Amino acid sequence: MHVLGTYGTILVLILMVVVFSAIQPDTFATVGNFRNILNDMAIGTIVAAGLTVPLVCGDFDLSIGYVASFSGILMVGLLSANQLPIPVAMLIVVGIGMLIGIVNGVIVSKIGVNAFIATLGTGTVVVGLNYAYSGGIPLQLTHSTDFTGLAIGRFLGIPHLAIIMVVVLGVLWVILNRTVQGQHIRAIGVSAESSRRAGVAVDRSRIVAFAIASTCAAIGGVLMASNLGSGQVTAGDGFMLTSFSAAFLGSAALREGQFHIVGTLIGVLTVAVGNNGLAMIGAPIFTQYLFAGCLLVLAVALGGIGRRYGRG
Amino acid sequence: MTLLSLNQISKSFGGIHALQDVSFDLNKGDIVGLVGDNGAGKSTLIKILAGAHDPSSGQVILEGQAQTLSPPANAQGLGIETVYQDLSMIGAFTAAENFFLGRELALGRGPALFRLIRRKTMLDTAVSGLEELHIDIPGVRSKPVERMSGGQRQLVAIARGAFWGSKMLLLDEPTAALGVRESKEVLNLITRLSARGLTIVMVTHNLEHLWSVCNRVVVMRRGRKAADMPSASTNMEDVVAYITGAKEGLQGRALELTS
Repeated sequence: MHVLGTYGTILVLILMVVVFSAIQPDTFATVGNFRNILNDMAIGTIVAAGLTVPLVCGDFDLSIGYVASFSGILMVGLLSANQLPIPVAMLIVVGIGMLIGIVNGVIVSKIGVNAFIATLGTGTVVVGLNYAYSGGIPLQLTHSTDFTGLAIGRFLGIPHLAIIMVVVLGVLWVILNRTVQGQHIRAIGVSAESSRRAGVAVDRSRIVAFAIASTCAAIGGVLMASNLGSGQVTAGDGFMLTSFSAAFLGSAALREGQFHIVGTLIGVLTVAVGNNGLAMIGAPIFTQYLFAGCLLVLAVALGGIGRRYGRG
Repeated sequence: MTLLSLNQISKSFGGIHALQDVSFDLNKGDIVGLVGDNGAGKSTLIKILAGAHDPSSGQVILEGQAQTLSPPANAQGLGIETVYQDLSMIGAFTAAENFFLGRELALGRGPALFRLIRRKTMLDTAVSGLEELHIDIPGVRSKPVERMSGGQRQLVAIARGAFWGSKMLLLDEPTAALGVRESKEVLNLITRLSARGLTIVMVTHNLEHLWSVCNRVVVMRRGRKAADMPSASTNMEDVVAYITGAKEGLQGRALELTS
């Protein structure tokens, strides 16, 4: 059961690749399809990996999806209506994202509002800002139309999105596993009180964790806008649920119920491969939801079993 | 040589007087057993020494200079470390990681986000720190402390305190919940640390353990110091009598006479 708990998700992933390749060798098991999968999952992975940081710290962030939507709209608005240069617009959008994260962190750590409620509140405010800015109407990209090249282009045959995803994952992995800040975030996730007594700046670390999640959500929103070539009012909202699914799915993998970056990547990858494969074999779309939902519950349940019986 | 003196320390929380006019001197290398019933003021006293509480009145003098010990970081900076009964370590971290929690060795300056941990150096330093104290625990480098025995965890926690605390170590129930053999190891370590010149104050309910290591006993009762005796010149019955109030300290008697 221990093995099933910690390696179950990876087994499912490998099994799916083998089975889908056997059934559809000409469409599924191709470089092109692999590239598609990477491309499709990239933005979701960036948002989910960002969310993983406050989760490691023991905090939920429900605002990420709304931050992604708002960031996408704002990006297109700044390029089209304000005709700002692409890098300037990006800096502003990602900066605002980071700011929202800092606000989340301050409300949660300094004021002491439960993270679930606090981020539900700030997320809703962000939806309000989104509608105030866009009027609830999609924005078209009228200037800087080469902005779409950011998400759609390829470098040496590798989609830009996949490259950006790997860079973000790498940076987040280093932060969590190799920096003092990451060490503190992981310690707080185990026991905030012990960390405080050991001299860790608990509040500041939690704020940083929220800022990272929100920054990643904003980056996701910018890439989404580039990918769509327009600003859609609710395009990023769904990232909230998929990110939580991926992070929890990943928490069951390899490390017995701990959130970690590689786990989250495995989580996103498993769902992405499953959805892609199911589509390839012509399964109706509802099967994708059944698959993702059942996998999540099963993996976390088995992960719990691994946790309970795993300590030999 | 006097390391630290408390002069008429009082602490109240709202209307409750947790400590009233407590004074004593700690000598370098002392192992002081701090005993008393629940609510007698032991933990308030320890927390004042640890810097977790600020006294309402009174003075703390460290090496001849009046000092403010709170917040805890201040006490730590002055060489005073505290090992709490629980909550002192991160279970999922290795002993080496726990050793350096909050004080990581790192490359670079600036915010914690941009400082890279020097894992290898931390590991080597923690291992040699434990070796120096003759603490032999398998898996110091790789095993999360939650997989260690209670005794091993306590040894690591005390060793961490001794590693950072150059002057004084405060131990809150260091042998609670430990088996006979494990308690013995912990008590041995406490004796070794004091022999190196570290001053130790330990709160304990176990008078046998107190007797096996402490050279002084301080009994607290109802927020006051009821007794302060060299352990060689007293015995367990006496101490119990002071704890329960069957026997009263000079201070207590004097106050009762005046009131």
